[in-house]
This record gives sequence, C-alpha cells and structure tokens, in this order.
Amino acid sequence: MKILQGIYTLLFGVAVLLFFGLAYPHHLHYQEQYQLFLFDWNYVWEIVRLPGGVADLLGRFCTQFFLFAWVGALIIALLLSLVQLLTFRLANYGWLYGLSFVPSFLLWLFLLDENALLGGIWAVLLTQFSFYGLLRLPDGWVRHILIFVAFLILYWIAFGGSHYYRIPHTFPTLFYAAWFSAIVIPLVIYVIPKSWGQVHKPRQQHILHSSLFMLTFIVFGTLVWKNANFKAEKVMQYDFMACHQQWNRILATVNAEKPNNQIGVTVQNLALAMHGMLAEHLFDYNQNGIAGLLPDVQSDATSPIPTAEAFYQLGMIYVAQRTVFEAQEAILDFQKSARCYKRLAQTNLIIGSYEVARKYLMALQKTLFYRDFANETLPLLGNEEAIAKHPEYGRLRQCAYGEDFYFSDHTTPEMLESLFFSNTDNCLALEYLKAYYMLTGDREGYTQLLQKLSVKN
Amino acid sequence: MKKYIYSYFLLLAVAMLLLTSCAGHPDVPASSKEAKSMPAIFPDYCNVTVPCNIAPLNFMLPADEYEACVARLTTPDGKQQTYGNGVKVQIPEEEWHAMLDASKEKSIKVEVWGQKAGEWLSFSPFEIHVAKEPIDEYLSYRLIEPSYVAWTYMEIAQRNLTSFEETQIFNNEITMNDKKIGQCINCHSYQNYKTDNMLFHVRLSNAGTVIVNDGKVSRVNMKRDYTISGGVYPSWHPTAKLVAFSTNKTRQAFHTANPNKIEVYDLASDMILYDVETDSVSIVSADSTLLEVYPTWSPDGKYLYYCKSVPLPEEMRDKDIRTTYPKIQYNLYRRSFDLATHGFGDEELVYDAASADKSVTLPRISPDGRYLLFALGQYGCFHSRHHDADIVCIPMGQYTGTGLNAETASPVDLTPLNSKDFSDSYPSWSSNGHWIMIASRRDDDNYSRVYFAYFNNGKVEKAFLLPQEDPEMHVSLLKSYNRPEFMVEPVKISVEEFSKVFDK
Repeated sequence: MKILQGIYTLLFGVAVLLFFGLAYPHHLHYQEQYQLFLFDWNYVWEIVRLPGGVADLLGRFCTQFFLFAWVGALIIALLLSLVQLLTFRLANYGWLYGLSFVPSFLLWLFLLDENALLGGIWAVLLTQFSFYGLLRLPDGWVRHILIFVAFLILYWIAFGGSHYYRIPHTFPTLFYAAWFSAIVIPLVIYVIPKSWGQVHKPRQQHILHSSLFMLTFIVFGTLVWKNANFKAEKVMQYDFMACHQQWNRILATVNAEKPNNQIGVTVQNLALAMHGMLAEHLFDYNQNGIAGLLPDVQSDATSPIPTAEAFYQLGMIYVAQRTVFEAQEAILDFQKSARCYKRLAQTNLIIGSYEVARKYLMALQKTLFYRDFANETLPLLGNEEAIAKHPEYGRLRQCAYGEDFYFSDHTTPEMLESLFFSNTDNCLALEYLKAYYMLTGDREGYTQLLQKLSVKN
Repeated sequence: MKKYIYSYFLLLAVAMLLLTSCAGHPDVPASSKEAKSMPAIFPDYCNVTVPCNIAPLNFMLPADEYEACVARLTTPDGKQQTYGNGVKVQIPEEEWHAMLDASKEKSIKVEVWGQKAGEWLSFSPFEIHVAKEPIDEYLSYRLIEPSYVAWTYMEIAQRNLTSFEETQIFNNEITMNDKKIGQCINCHSYQNYKTDNMLFHVRLSNAGTVIVNDGKVSRVNMKRDYTISGGVYPSWHPTAKLVAFSTNKTRQAFHTANPNKIEVYDLASDMILYDVETDSVSIVSADSTLLEVYPTWSPDGKYLYYCKSVPLPEEMRDKDIRTTYPKIQYNLYRRSFDLATHGFGDEELVYDAASADKSVTLPRISPDGRYLLFALGQYGCFHSRHHDADIVCIPMGQYTGTGLNAETASPVDLTPLNSKDFSDSYPSWSSNGHWIMIASRRDDDNYSRVYFAYFNNGKVEKAFLLPQEDPEMHVSLLKSYNRPEFMVEPVKISVEEFSKVFDK
C-alpha cells in the first residue's frame, strides 16, 4: 500500500509538473516578471519583519526561478506534493486516503490565477510542518509551552500574512479554503472513530482506497482544466516572446493561429515590422485598427509592456521609458519588476542618463538571473564609443528623435513621421507609418508620404 | 567537556569583540603613496560647514575603484579617532556628537586613505567646519518614485537630523480604498515649524485635506462652487489659524527628446484663504487670464508673497498651452494683509523675472525677514523638472517698493549652494535662518536629494547632502525626497491616528 501511495503522490506531482510546464508556462513567466528578488539584507529584512514575511520571502525566492518555466513547474510540483504528503502524514486516512490530495488540488486551483502568489503555498507548508512537528512531541507541559510558542512563531512567519495574493485588500477565498482544508481534513480524520476508515477485507480496502483517489483526481483534475485561463496564457505567451525578442517564433505562432487579442496583435505587428513585412503583409493577419499597432497606454501593469517594447524598438526611447515606468508603478502589490528595471536601465543608458541607469543596474547586480546583464552593461555607462558600437543601443541612439515635442496621449502619424525623417535608416518607423495610414484608411496621408519619400530619394 | 565548550564560546566572543573593534577603528596604513588630491568621497563633505547637532557625516570612496577606506578625524583638542569598514566610513553617533561638541565654531580635520589595487593612497586632508548654530531637529519629506502619472507606494516621512531615525507620518496604502484609482498624498505643511498645526492632502481615492488644529485631526474638503479646485500649495499664517492656498488645474506633458522629460503646468490657478476655525474659504485672487501660485507668508504675517504669470503676447493667447507653455513666466508679487479684517492690500511687484526672460517660483522669506529665497528657471512654475533651475537669494533691504529685477537686484552669491546644469529647487529656511535647505537632482539628474548650506550675514557656504547611516543609500534609493520641510519637533500623531479620520 505504501508503494501505491508513493506512486499516487508521484503521479500527482508529474501531473502538476506537466500542467505548468506544458500548458501554463507563461503564467510562470508572468509571475517572475512582476517581482524583483534581491540578495540583499535590507530587502530580506523589509519582508521578514512583517507578519507572514517568512512565507512571503520563500515564495518570492522560488518565484525568481519561474524565469525558466520547467524549473518553476518543478518547484510547484514539489511544493504541492509536499503539501499532500504532509496532509497525509498528519492522520491515518485508511480508505479515505484520496482526501489527502484535496488541499493540494485546491492550491493548484488557486495557482491558476495569475495574481496568486507562491508565498501562500509556503504559508500552508509552514503550518503543516509546525503541526507535524508538534504532534510528534511527547505529551506534557513542555509540549503545551512549545505549542503556544509555535503558534506565536507561526503567526509571524505565516498566519498573519496578507501578501499571498497580488491585489491588496482582496480575500482569496480559494486560498484560505485550501489552507483551512490542510488543517481541518487531517483533524477530522484524526478525531473520527478509527472504525470509519477501516475495512477488514484487504481487497475491499484496496478498491475503496484507489476509487476515492481516482474520484478526487478526476473531479479536481477536471476542475483545474476547466478553470485554467488558457486565453490569458496565450496573451502571456505573446508578451513573453516580445520580451525575449523571439520575432521568428512570434511569426510562427501567428501563422499557426491568428491572435484575437490586443497584445497578440501588437506583438504580431512588431514582429512583422522587425522582419520588414508589416506594410506589405498587414492585412494578411488579424488587425485591430490603431489599437493593434501602438495602443494607447492604459494604467495597468500588463497591457502597456508590449507597446513599450514597440516604442523601444522604434527608437522612441523617452516614450518607452515612461511607458515601462508607469507599468511598473501599476503593479498591484507595490513590487518592482526585474524586467522593467532592465528596460529602465537600457533606456536611461541610451538617452545618456548614466547615473540613473547605474542605480537600476546596481539593483540588478543583486539578482540571480539579471546579474550577468548588469555586469555586462555597467562598463558601457559613459563609454560613448562602446555604446555607439553596440548593436542594439547604438542603433537605437541613431533612431532618436531629432527635435523635441510633447508626446500626445495617442500615437499620431506626425510622431512617426518625425521619427522616420529624423533618421531615414529607421525602417521600422517607416513600416509603422505606412501601416498607420493603411489601418486608418488615410490614402491622402499615405500618398503624401510616398511623395516625400520620392523627393528624399 | 562542558568546560571546554564554555572556554570555546568565551574565546569566540573575545575574538568577535576584537574583530568588531578592529573594523570600527582600523589602523592608519603604515605606508602610503601621496595622491596630492582631495579624496573623491561620496557624499562630498570636503570643507563643508555643518550644524553643531547634525547626524554623523558618513561617507565612502567609490566601490568600483577602491577596496578599502580609512579616515582619521582630529578634533581641535587634539583627540583622534580612525574609522573605516570596507570603502565606507561610518561614525558611531555618540562619538560623532562628542567630536561636534569639541569642535563648535572650529573644525574637525579629516585625513583619508584609500586602498586601490592593493596600494594605499593618502589624500589631501580636508576640514569639516562646525557652526555654533544648530539645525532644526526634524525634517519631513515625501518619498516617491520620480514618476510620470502612475505611482504605487508613497509616504510622508520625518527624519531626526541629529540621528538617523526616520519614521512615517503617513502612507498612501493604509486608507486607499480603491487601488485602481490610487491615492496621492502630498503638500505637508506646518505652522511656524511646529506640528500641532499642520496639514497634508490626500487625493483621488478617499480624498481630502487632513488638518491638525491644536493637535486635533480632521479631514476637510476645501472645494467650493466658486473655486477651481480644493487647496493645493499651502502656506500657514505664522500666528493665525489661516492657510493661504493656491488652487490649481494642473496637467502634465511628456517630452519626446528633452532631458527635462516631464512638464508640469497649470491650465488655471488662483489663490484662496482658508480659515481653519470656521472651515470657510475666501478668494484672495482669481484672475482668469493669469496664473497665481505658491503663496508664502512673511514671518510677521503682514504680507502674502506669491508668484503670478505675466500675460502672454497677444498672438499666443488662444493657442494650446502645450505649445505656448515655454513662454509662460512668473514674477513675484506680494500683498499686505490685515489680520483683523482678513483683508488684503494692493498687489506690489517684488521681483520681475520675466524682464530677464526668467520665471520665479517657490518664494520663502527668511525668519528675520531680511532675505528672500526663490527658485529661478527659464519658464514655467515647476522648476524641479528644469535643468536650468537655480536658487536665488535677494536681501529684502534692496526692495523699496519698486519691483526688483535682474539689473537692479544684487543677489547673494549662491554658487556654493547651486549645482551646474541640474535642477535646484524647493528652497527653505531653518527656523533660526542659518540653514538653507533645497531639493536638488544634482547627483543623478533624476532623484531629488536634500542639501543644506550654512548661511550667515548674506554669505553662504558649500552645500552638503543629508547624511545617511549607510552613505550608499543615496545611490541605491530609487525614491525622490519631495518637498523637504524643516520642523522643530516631530509630528506626534501616528499613522493609525491619521487614518481614523478616513473612517468617518
């Protein structure tokens, strides 16, 4: 039976791993990009000094590995399997063994939400570890004292926390149901008469045992699948590909399935423009008017980021900087973003604000996965020659606006025209300008542009 | 066995104690090469004049150039002490204050050694002059990312200037009831440097002005049918329970290629007088064609100073302000005030900046009434975003009723205070008039930091940066110090107590 139980836990873990690794990887990337985990005592102290801080810190620490989706999936699989094992270890379930998976499944359901934070899973685990340890203490006054102390500590490291969900002042019912179940299910099993869980015939025991496990697995598995937000996953995939400048992959993805969301269309058009195909193949793909080209920047943390990528690639560095900054400020739980820091460092470097770039890079030096970028970029600060020769920064400096004007709330053809005629090697700006006229049906504007181009040539 | 364990722990404790003491007071390098230059320490505290009660002036050598730093401080009585921990020099508060006491009206000599590529360099020594005049014990500021439109967390904090203690006055998280709308807290202001009568604004989510009247907190809405907005930039009357405010319709625009990045401008602005006792609002000025802003009282309360825009040329008046804005310039005016009737006299031009193609903002009169400080830039009213903005100080004795200008006024030489090509803005006086405080972006062109400079009889000394326990903090902190204000005492009301007025 023990081997079978081990296999069931393993099956569960593999299912979680495959789900997050194959079906939900970009949710993990999304999580990673809205935090900035620093190996810095001040940062750690600011987190752990708050109630629930230890769980929060452990969650944040693990989340930084979500940059690599399979590592993230493995971490979640291990944590949820551990929750199941501890739930199981806390009581003698008998044929009710399947119930030991309920808290883990509820947490899995919770993690389908992109605003669910991994600190919550650690809060449940820390609670279970404490209970597990306390139950193993010999009876007596020492145990009572330790239970009291443990509850105080537990309050500080896990119970008192509120940063288990990204949106402040929100009560994540599913999470608290999972936490509650992780304590109550073993407790109920512990107190109900032993005879309830006992079936004398081993064969019957085996069948009941497996049936309940299967039932739990099927019911919750279906719930997970039905509640998974694959539409959001697709949007996050486009954002991820834009972030990593995977222009070929973006085109392959849109060729396989045309995007039907704004971020997807924005990213698709950026990839087409990067390949010099935007104006020529514009209407071979789904379009969403100007909103699919350079959408107006909204006051949230997600939607402006792909637009900022387009601004950046176009050479509208000040605008890109502002857009990224605003997006970072809109992160609902007041965290900073490693991705945004990186882009803010780059934009400041390009416009020559070296000391500001240095601040962002110094912070990124304290991260695990952005340290190399920071170390490679720091020597560029103030080195005009090296920046001019840099394939990305040098090109973007060349593409900068020749004259200053106030950025309109909406991107206008005049802005793109000014950008292109500041540097006529900026083919991307020309692609976007042509696409702008085509999407708005402004034939006159398009004709005038062609005339200006012929005069220039 | 037990005996050995105890001995081991004792040995360890002694070793750690020795190690700590070594790290705190290291030896001066036995041999070093003379660098023949001043040390490039951050913050630059070389030859500054400091108050006799300021927190330790901790500093560091650049970590990417040096491996270690040792400093030896010598007081006039001949006592010496060395400090150094890596590239940082951090002086314990108690030892520092003893040194200040021993050096009042004299100087502390500072010798610095830096280790570079294994070799010690000795720099030319410098002095820290200790003035006899103390600085106000407290300072408050808003800590905020220098943002565009959006923001997340912000706080108004207070700092004890004699130590490194910083506490929170208020934050925008505790009473924000709608995250999507957000909440902005700003414009903390005190009556006569004291905190029993003070205010700050809360905007957007759960909006209102939080007013403390003799220690009692309330939240008020100053918007009236006849005002263009609620109160914005405040100034407490020095003796009466009156606050002069500007009312503003403020907008922002964003540059595409100008390092100023952001332009903050008013579509309209007027001035009001708010009576704290009666919760009544009266109009001070409401010229719909011109913009009035930044009221400030003279220390005797007999005059209200403010900035007012000059009319635009005829051909520009109907154009979009986003195109005409670089032509909007402000002059400085004042009106007499009768406390008995709450009546204002006629407007007097105090400083004509526009005639020299400049714009004056943020006036402050020294506590003895003898000097006028303001921020001067080429255009507009938001110089904290203007690279050319500098602080100007004019002796009020030069003002005889006829408006001064660049040609007729002889300003105090503020070269030691101002930075070159970076925004210097938001000037203010300490309560004894011997310390000027400004917000400056000189360190990185983006994040405002607080600088102080000694002022005595129309002479100003080199400005120095607000000291921090960890000198690197000014480099790593991604927040601006906004609207620094002196206080002679801390705000005694807690964040929780302030938040209670939002429950009602």
